[in-house]
This record gives sequence, structure tokens and C-alpha cells, in this order.
Amino acid sequence: MDLNKALESNIHLKILKFFHENQASIDTPRGVATWIGEERSKVKKALEDLVAIKILCAHRATSTTGYSYTNDAKLISRIGRLLKKAGEPK
Amino acid sequence: MEETPNHIYQKELFDRLKKSLSLKREEECFGCIIKPAFWWLIWKERPKLSEVEKQVTAACPCMKKAATRNVGRCTKNIAEVLKRAAEEKKLVRFECDEGLHGFVYPIIQNGKLFGYIGACYTKKDIAPEVLDIFAAFTDTIIKEVQKEHELAKLYETLRPRAIALSTVHTVHRLISSTLDLNELLPRIARLSLQIMRANRCSIKLVDSKRKILLPKTTVDLREKKAHLKKVRVGRFAPGKAVKFGRPIRGRNYLATPLIDADVIGVITLYDKIDNKPFTQFDQEIMSTMAEQAVIAIKNAQLYKEQEKLTTGTIKALAKVLDTRSPGTYIPRASFVKIALAIGQEMRLDADALKSLEYASILHDAGEVFVPQDVLTKPSKLTGEEFAMVKGHPAAGVEIIRHMKALKSATPIILYHHENYDGSGYPKGLKKDQIPLGARIMAVVSAFESMITKKPYRVTMTVEEALEEIRQHSATQFDPKVVEMFLKVVKKKDIRTTLEKELHGSK
Repeated sequence: MDLNKALESNIHLKILKFFHENQASIDTPRGVATWIGEERSKVKKALEDLVAIKILCAHRATSTTGYSYTNDAKLISRIGRLLKKAGEPK
Repeated sequence: MEETPNHIYQKELFDRLKKSLSLKREEECFGCIIKPAFWWLIWKERPKLSEVEKQVTAACPCMKKAATRNVGRCTKNIAEVLKRAAEEKKLVRFECDEGLHGFVYPIIQNGKLFGYIGACYTKKDIAPEVLDIFAAFTDTIIKEVQKEHELAKLYETLRPRAIALSTVHTVHRLISSTLDLNELLPRIARLSLQIMRANRCSIKLVDSKRKILLPKTTVDLREKKAHLKKVRVGRFAPGKAVKFGRPIRGRNYLATPLIDADVIGVITLYDKIDNKPFTQFDQEIMSTMAEQAVIAIKNAQLYKEQEKLTTGTIKALAKVLDTRSPGTYIPRASFVKIALAIGQEMRLDADALKSLEYASILHDAGEVFVPQDVLTKPSKLTGEEFAMVKGHPAAGVEIIRHMKALKSATPIILYHHENYDGSGYPKGLKKDQIPLGARIMAVVSAFESMITKKPYRVTMTVEEALEEIRQHSATQFDPKVVEMFLKVVKKKDIRTTLEKELHGSK
């Protein structure tokens, strides 16, 4: 999966939008699922997809994993442009 | 009108009312009864004439068609009606110069008038009851819109705070899930970096004797990485934060002290990724982060101390037991090292490795209950004597029974004489029935016994012992453990320690 592909999926788009709007946030799959109103198992999978393409960082601990947004300024600005184009998630 | 918060609130409410579907539906429904009606909404208690003209002209076809002179007169008339409605705070009917009828209803929220809803081109003889119903409906819609607006405001205000709170909670969970300082400090640094959106984070801990800050971890996202440096207390931002016990903030740095009873260290962040300066808000967030971090660091330090204390106690116990027969109860450090290395190779977790370490030290402690002459008997043991020896694992467990920290080491001590094929003691367990720690201990203990001096057997060389163990793989010993053991024993550092302990330094 790459960034463009991620934007085609509603759940990935919602997660990207959430982290782009809340760049200092670190949250668990359960937390992110609550904020974007999606099922936790699907969110967990989508979060790992976004970690794989380095849009999110995973902070893994024994009891849970926290996910946070990339620190790459260029990537953030590219995501910002693409999110504008993509419009609102359904 | 002055832009007060109340004014802004009323304007937002009015805009929401204008877009309200319920109001549009009301206009459609009443439009059918009082038809034909053209609706307009006017914002502000005392609108300017130009505003009245703009709104009414946009809605009323009569005004659009009328000559310029009539527009001005009509606007003035409506302005007069608005004034009356404002004074009377109720619906006011009017008849314009064109002989057309209409009405104005003041929009009131919390006793404060902030606009009007009006209709032109209505029937002349609208029943007063119809207008009463209209007023009641309009009030309900205003209340509904007001509630919607307040909910939306609440959502806008609470959501970012709830997200921030969730972040604090997640950070707390992440940093309190480890008691290993070597894992904890980099984790705190990485999380601080994420929360602050900064490029570099370093954590330094205070060495109070030398009055310096020792660098413990740095996470640096920049291409040109900074070096870890010691800093004297009182120097630079980290040193000052520790000296004064408060955050030190500059455009590109933020040093936050880790305060427990004393200052134990400092977290310093450098260069935000968006190049903006660190703010007071950042300082407050980092202070919260530091409060959580200091608890986790103190817990990890206490845990480490506790571990040292437990290991020390075990070693002391082994030493006391060893006074009875020197060399019998205290295994050499190299055998503990071998057991741990096998455990690591077999991917045991930190707790299991700790248990293995404790069990390695005390696995033969129960021999203290076996008479000395039985332990040192060079000839074959009688049945009764062998029964005594077979009781030593259970006796060892009895010795450590009251030490809670050693509870997890109990199965290793109890079953370290079980054989893989079920021929061992005390229970004759076989294969996976024997705990993995005990299977590891069985190999290491046998190896130790073979190569150290024992009155009842000829001491073997290391190579002879390795061959003996290899031969008993899958019968006496777990073949996987034997495989790992043979791999581990070849390691240079282990072989060096072993040789040194067996033969002294060369």
C-alpha cells in the first residue's frame, strides 16, 4: 500500500485526517476507533498499514501499542495537500 | 455593534437559524396558509436601513418590481414595524403603502432580541390563532437551533481536550508498561518528541555526588545528530532547569526538570519540526509529561534496587549454605551465565530469565538437608541414601517457600532432576511436562557436576562433558536445550569465564 492507495480507503482516509488534524496525538487502536467512529479491528489493521508506509509511528509496549503521526515535515505537507483534494471521508 | 462574545454567539446562532431546515419547513407550511408569503430574516436588534432594504428586497418580488421611491418608503415602513416589534417583543402586523400585508416576529434568545423574521405579501385576514401558532412554532425552532448550536460548540471545545486527555492516558500506559530503565528512557524521549512535534529529545539524569547531568538517551531526527554530553548542574538549559527546579524555555529549546522529592533529571526538547517557537502551552504539556515520566523512572529505579536486593539475598543465602561444604551450594558465575544465555537463545522473556537466574543460584540449596557423608560418599549410594538425595529439590523449594520473589523459580528448582524421557525425579515428568527452565537447568547442572570436582565421580574435561551431554540428548536432556547449550558454550566470553573459574586466571 502507498499513500495514494491509502487515500482510496475510507477508513485510512479517516485515520489520516484524524492524525493530520491532531498531530501531537498518540493513541491506541481503541482510542482512534472512538475518534473516527469505526470498528476497532479494522482500525488496528489500517493503523498497521499506515505504519508500514511510514505515515504513522508505532510505540509498542507489552500491554498496548500507541500510534502517532510522522515527524517528516515534507510528508506532512504532501498529506495535507492530498487530504484537501480527497475531500471529506464518508 | 461591538464584537462581544455574546454578540459573536448571537451571530453564529442567527446564521445557524438561517440555515435551519425546520425554519424552512415552517415557512413552507405557513406559506400555504397565509399565502402568498415571502420571508426574510434580519440580523441585529437595530439594523441599518440599508440592511433592511437588502434583506427585504432580496425576498419580496413587490420590492424588486417597485420604483426606487417606493423601495425607500417601504424600507422605512418596515424599519418602523421592526422598532415596534422590538418594543412590544411580540408579533406585529403591518400594511405597506402598496396596500399589501405582512408581519414581523422578533427573535429573542434568553430575553435578548437579536433579529427578526418577517413575511410580506400575506393574506389580509389571517386569523390571530394562526399567528399565535406561528409564534409558538418559531420559538420552538429557535430553542432547537440554540440547542444544536450549543452541542456543536461543546463538541468543538471538548473534542480536542478529550483527544489530548486520551494522549496523556496512552502515554501513561506506554511508559508504565516497562520497569527496565534502558527501555523506559528512550521510550519517554520518543513519546515527548511526538507530543511536542520536535526534532530532538534528550534525557539526562542527575549524578548528585558529582553535581553533573549524565546523558542517558537522545532521540534525534535530524540528519546531523548531536552527541551525548555531560552537563554541569546550572549550565545550559538542562543544567539550569535542574538547578532552579523549573522549566527553562527558549525559542528552540524546552528543558523540563524531572521532579520527585528532588530533581532527578531533565527532559530537553530542541527544534520544533514546523520551526515555530516553544510556547507556554508546550511547557505545560511537558510538565504533565515529566510528572508521569518521573513516576515511571522512580518505579523502574526502585524495581532495579529491589532486584539487586533479591539477588543479594539469594547469594547471601547460598553463601550461608555453602559454609557447610564449600563449593557444594554456590554455583560458579559461569554456570549462571550459561543458563541465562540458553534462556535468551530460547527467547524467554525478562521475568522467565530472572527466575532462571534465581534458580541457577539456589537449585541445589536443598542438599543442605542431605547428610554430609551421603553427599560426599565416593561409593554407590544405598536405596535409603539415594532417597535422601532425591528429596533435595523439594527441600530446596521448602527453603525458598517464604520468599515471594522466588515463587516463579520454584518449578525450576523442583523439577531440575527430571529427565526428558521420564526417568528422572521427583515426579518422573517427561518432555514438555517439565518446565522449560527446569530442562535448561538440568543440562547446566549436569554439566557443572561433570566438570567440577566431586568426591563420587571423576572430573571430566569440558570437551568430555560436552560429549557426554550430546550423547544423552533426547534421553536425559531436551534435544533443543542441548542444541542451544552446545552453541552457547562455544561463545568466547562464556568459555573464557568458565576456564578462569575452573583453572584460575592464567
